[in-house]
Amino acid sequence: MLCQYVGKRINLVMKFDRKKDINPKYLLLALSIISLIFLFISAFFADFMQPVKEYTGKLITPMQDGVNSIGEWVTDRFEVFGDVKELRAENEELKAQIESYKEDITMYQQELSELQELRDLYELDSQYPEYNMTAARVFSTNTTGWFSEFYIDKGLNDGISEGCNVLCGGGLAGIVTEVYSDYAKVRAVIDDRSNISAAITPSNAICTVEGSLNNMESGYLLVTDIDKDAAISVGDKVITSHISDRYMYGITIGYVSEITNDSNNLTKTAKLIPAVDFSNIHDVLVITDKKQEVTY
Amino acid sequence: MRRVITLFILIILCFLLQTTVFSFHDITGSAPNLMLVLTMSFGLMRGRKEGMLVGFFCGFLYDCFLGTLIGPYMLLYMFTGYVNGFFHKNYQVEDVMLPVIIIVLDEIVFNLLVYVFSFVLRNRLDFTFYLTKVILPQILYTLLATIILYRIFVRINKYLKKKAKD
Repeated sequence: MLCQYVGKRINLVMKFDRKKDINPKYLLLALSIISLIFLFISAFFADFMQPVKEYTGKLITPMQDGVNSIGEWVTDRFEVFGDVKELRAENEELKAQIESYKEDITMYQQELSELQELRDLYELDSQYPEYNMTAARVFSTNTTGWFSEFYIDKGLNDGISEGCNVLCGGGLAGIVTEVYSDYAKVRAVIDDRSNISAAITPSNAICTVEGSLNNMESGYLLVTDIDKDAAISVGDKVITSHISDRYMYGITIGYVSEITNDSNNLTKTAKLIPAVDFSNIHDVLVITDKKQEVTY
Repeated sequence: MRRVITLFILIILCFLLQTTVFSFHDITGSAPNLMLVLTMSFGLMRGRKEGMLVGFFCGFLYDCFLGTLIGPYMLLYMFTGYVNGFFHKNYQVEDVMLPVIIIVLDEIVFNLLVYVFSFVLRNRLDFTFYLTKVILPQILYTLLATIILYRIFVRINKYLKKKAKD
């Protein structure tokens, strides 16, 4: 009798425990509530969710590295079979380039010494401080097509923190928006949400560089809020401004390609061609220094 | 148990392919939404509950790595899996048209929601541009991925079913 009863109980419990008996509706409700709780916590208490992201990243990033190294190995093998003729032609071309660069270098060296003398005269030495940098490698990108973000394989452990500037090929590539112990997320300059306080050299006109998915499709970014009377011309270099509180001073963003007057007759808008080729970002430099923060 | 492990591996594989191989160092490009294909496939093949669970974990992974908040994509993927599960009644092993139609609808809803929440709310209203340059290529990519991957998922599902019966 007792055995029968216990057997029935166990059967009942087993039956209830079996996943198949949960109505999908209730499961949906439960999972929705869980995700809404997650959403709430991550929106208002971001620090609580940091460990969750951290550990998921720890699980995922090594695998991504693995897949990448396989991909690189495969492309390397394919490149070995590339056209020898092409390589020879390229070799010739590069040799010619080296010659011209050598000439350039001697010229620049002369100019550099002259510049140094002038700087000494004006005591401008500290205007272009050397930034501390660390090299990092891109291992993943945001592939939704909506956002331009990429991931680098260095994080808190290498001295990178949120707000560090990222350079690539001599130009500003982006800014670190999220950082974990071994990887960091970088928002590119061309991302739709990016907004940089910049200056146009040599006239030093202050302006704003807006990232935009719409304009980037045609290969340029918009430079807005340039003073109507600012003396700027096509080909001028756009650098990060000294008044920006997130970007270090003097990093090249790109070059002005077209200038138009705004309808309000107070400001000008220009098109900017970025200095970085965003279709092929591999190795980047991260400035580990951060702009001095002013607290009022 | 075998099913759970297989699904876990599939989710991770799809995520890895989506975030690395298809976007090799190209920041401006887009890639097929493989995790959506996975969610759709298992929702269609196995019904609401499994679609919903696969979507839940795909979304969790997506949010942890690609998103800023944890939750929005979780909800999105989960509901996609759940709704696709309703088509389980019409599921036939050889049928390829149904998954293709469903994935196109899924992609449209998915991308429209992303567009509304992260672009329209910031006053980016040029819808035709976003439709032609972002949404349509994305749909095309995912469609191609579905045609290839769906058959593989069907095979895997068949194998799992057979093993479960034994």
